[in-house]
Amino acid sequence: MKVRVVTKILEANDRIALENRKIFNRHGVYVINLMSAPGAGKTTLLEKTLEQQTGLRIGVIEGDIAGTDDAERLETFGIPVVQINTGGACHLDANMIYEVLGDLPLQDMDILFIENVGNLVCPAEFKVGEDIKVMLLSITEGHDKPLKYPLMFQESSALVLNKIDLAPYTDVDLGKIRRDALSLNPGLKIFEVSCKTGQGLGEWVGWLKETGLPGISG
Amino acid sequence: MHEVSIALNLIEIVSEQCRKSGFSRIDSVNVRIGRASGIMPDALNFAFDAIKDDSMAKGASLQIEVVPVTGRCGECSNTFSVEEDYILSCPACGGSSFSIISGRELDIINMEVS
Repeated sequence: MKVRVVTKILEANDRIALENRKIFNRHGVYVINLMSAPGAGKTTLLEKTLEQQTGLRIGVIEGDIAGTDDAERLETFGIPVVQINTGGACHLDANMIYEVLGDLPLQDMDILFIENVGNLVCPAEFKVGEDIKVMLLSITEGHDKPLKYPLMFQESSALVLNKIDLAPYTDVDLGKIRRDALSLNPGLKIFEVSCKTGQGLGEWVGWLKETGLPGISG
Repeated sequence: MHEVSIALNLIEIVSEQCRKSGFSRIDSVNVRIGRASGIMPDALNFAFDAIKDDSMAKGASLQIEVVPVTGRCGECSNTFSVEEDYILSCPACGGSSFSIISGRELDIINMEVS
């Protein structure tokens, strides 16, 4: 017998993501799902952000397949950090986040970063309850990435181009990255940053404050 | 790579529907996957076959309808479909203001149960 189903396959995940979102809203926490390929500099960007005098109360959920290295790096800043090990899964999903919410002092935070598993494909598909997605691309990954991984670029509100200090040593075409990324997503906010030299970090942090602090941006 | 997660969600949903309908075996499942959804049909089929054995879908086949990416131009109102898994501009007028009509689907449509 034929049975009509007509359901979104990720309906269960989306439902839990919505629950997470409600919990975040109730505590007044702005949540950023931070995504990139492995090694693009997600944890380093967070370290550099924490070094700035932002006045923001920041917490982090670290998603990794295995290990606690990233969480240990961030704990030295004295901020709340929770490590999730996915044990093989290539992305975080809404339920993994839901299960660790009790370990975070949400009421004492302005921004919660959810550092996703390093991967340019899968994390774009799974909502975790975030307000926005932000992606990093280190420029040494190449200018072909927007068209090779369009979903990630379409889903993100901001793109941080990291390792910009290496531009003179590569053949990367930054104009092409910008053009293709903006064609895929005209509203995308783009930052050129070097976590090594500090270039562009001021603009990034300024935007974070505007975006993440209620009362400044609304 | 995340096709295993998708397959797990899929099997959970159809098993529950099957139970609710009063049946115990799923014979086939029809899904619609958009070309821009980030899912590879072959990988989804592989994942589905790899994990279905412990479920009501043990003997089920998975039929995947791939939905092309289509858009409507905001400037000339042209409706079009593309070969790629993204749209950069309207093929008729070159305009870059468009809305995506299809291609992001990750939907279960129906199933055969007995």
